[in-house]
Amino acid sequence: MQYSQKVLDHFMHPKNVGKMDAPDAIATEGSPACGDQVTVYLKVDEQSHKIEDISFLSYGCASNIATASIITELAKGKTLEEAKQITWRDAMEALDGLPPVKVHCSVLAADTLQTAISNYEIAHGLKEVPDFSKETIVEELKKIIYPQVGEDIVSLKMVKYVGFTDGEVLIDLNMASFDTWRENVAEEIREHLEKYPAVKNIQINFP
Amino acid sequence: MNRIYMDNCVTSQPAPEVLAAMQTYFTEKYWFPGSFISTGEEINTVIEQTKQQISHVINAKPNEIHFTSGGTLANNIAIKGLATAYSERGNHIICSVVDYPDLLTNAAFLENSGFEVTYLNADSDGFIDLNELKSAIRPTTIMFMTTIVNHVLGTIQSMQEIREILDHAGHKIYFHADACQAFGKIPLDVQALGVDTLAISAHKIHGPQGVGALYKKTGVKLGQIIHGVKRVEELQPGGINIALIAGFTEAVEITFSDFQQTQKHLRDLSDHLIKKMEETIPEIELNGPRGEKRAPHNVNFTINYIEGEAITMMLDMQGITVATGSACASQGLKPNYILMAVGKNHMQSHGSMKFTFGRYNTNEEIDFVVEKLAEITISLRKRSPLYKSDK
Repeated sequence: MQYSQKVLDHFMHPKNVGKMDAPDAIATEGSPACGDQVTVYLKVDEQSHKIEDISFLSYGCASNIATASIITELAKGKTLEEAKQITWRDAMEALDGLPPVKVHCSVLAADTLQTAISNYEIAHGLKEVPDFSKETIVEELKKIIYPQVGEDIVSLKMVKYVGFTDGEVLIDLNMASFDTWRENVAEEIREHLEKYPAVKNIQINFP
Repeated sequence: MNRIYMDNCVTSQPAPEVLAAMQTYFTEKYWFPGSFISTGEEINTVIEQTKQQISHVINAKPNEIHFTSGGTLANNIAIKGLATAYSERGNHIICSVVDYPDLLTNAAFLENSGFEVTYLNADSDGFIDLNELKSAIRPTTIMFMTTIVNHVLGTIQSMQEIREILDHAGHKIYFHADACQAFGKIPLDVQALGVDTLAISAHKIHGPQGVGALYKKTGVKLGQIIHGVKRVEELQPGGINIALIAGFTEAVEITFSDFQQTQKHLRDLSDHLIKKMEETIPEIELNGPRGEKRAPHNVNFTINYIEGEAITMMLDMQGITVATGSACASQGLKPNYILMAVGKNHMQSHGSMKFTFGRYNTNEEIDFVVEKLAEITISLRKRSPLYKSDK
């Protein structure tokens, strides 16, 4: 497992790092328990909705710092609408790839950017707080990376069933009993869904 | 730039004396032991001599030493061997949550094969709970196994107390010890320890990789785990590299010729690092015990608010090799199980840095490492959302 030169450059010399004074929006994703945490700060022009300034803080490994750095580079100067199109795949590509077990870092960075944009839009009346539904769960599952290959579990067709009734989330995953990543994947799913107040219980089933 | 290597508990640089001692067994005397012909007899003699030398430093008899292809092999042969040899007496085994993976994976295997295993808990310094040991013993308990020196925290288990508990159990409980981290670091006397089997390895004391030894007390039975033709050893059939055995013996020679000095060198390095770190870097915590109950070669610190993979990468770019207990640096993306088992939280585990010394480390290296580590800590804390700069 090796990092690309670009990852090492952004790790050793991250761009846009540091806490921002009086930001227009903040978002923090992850936690020390997950092993990584990213905070993104935004300054947005009220008229043009352009991201005038962006910075981040990161608690995490080299790829965590590098992906947060690149995501701020990708978003800087873009309008909110443009920045909303930035995904973890863009971050990966801009860094010349990541080792499979580190792909989840790019998801965390992209996710934090998207949450910061969403927080801005909600605070400025540009959108409503979205309702939680089955679609929200599916969107979150698209952010869960299977560490063995570095792809998300929805693209890999590992999700067999998603249900949501009265706060109960039910997910059936197609992962073999000898798959050593079962526990990691289930833990990631819980971390992603537990932050929603609408979620009361999460049941994950394996064959 | 010469690399500064402080991960000696994983493997250590083979000593030049070791390389020289092995040479002839790769080129001229590449034979296996055997009877009646001169080539085989010569190797027989070499093996007898090496067993003499190794047995001497742990107060065993030469015929109680059995070479293996490393510490893991020795642990497997002993643990599975004891369990199968004495399964008629009972099916209960005791070990602890802070044991080395060799012991824990063998325990899990035996559990799947119908044995019952009790995993003792440990305190915040990594010492196993001896009251739990007392109450865990049942009439069906056939084996207790432990890791004498913890591979993460350097904790030296209270071997004398453990022995007394086992001696007073009312029936024979076979006692296996993994001494791979202890051998060459602290004095080991198999008679005083009261062990039935004990595993050691060469490459952690500047010997070659791929060779270890199992001490098996006279009269103790082991079920045969590996089957095949006997070349060198009954317990591990097939070939065992004679050159590596010769190298192992030389490593024992250089380590034990002045064992007090070997220990003092390691202890002085650890003391120097602990002092330097605590003077230089704020908000760090030593993991594991202080003083004599800690193995002399091991220092483990948590550097709060930052993550260990990032630290090790930055040190690596400065030519420094150390280890971390961070999940991000592990193959399974899990925080170090030892640190979690002794009650550390995720941040403490992710931010843990382990430095383990060998005979070639110096105080000058330590000064350089601490200087670089202090710079890295400031740089990474500036980036960390967990660190409050107003502190």
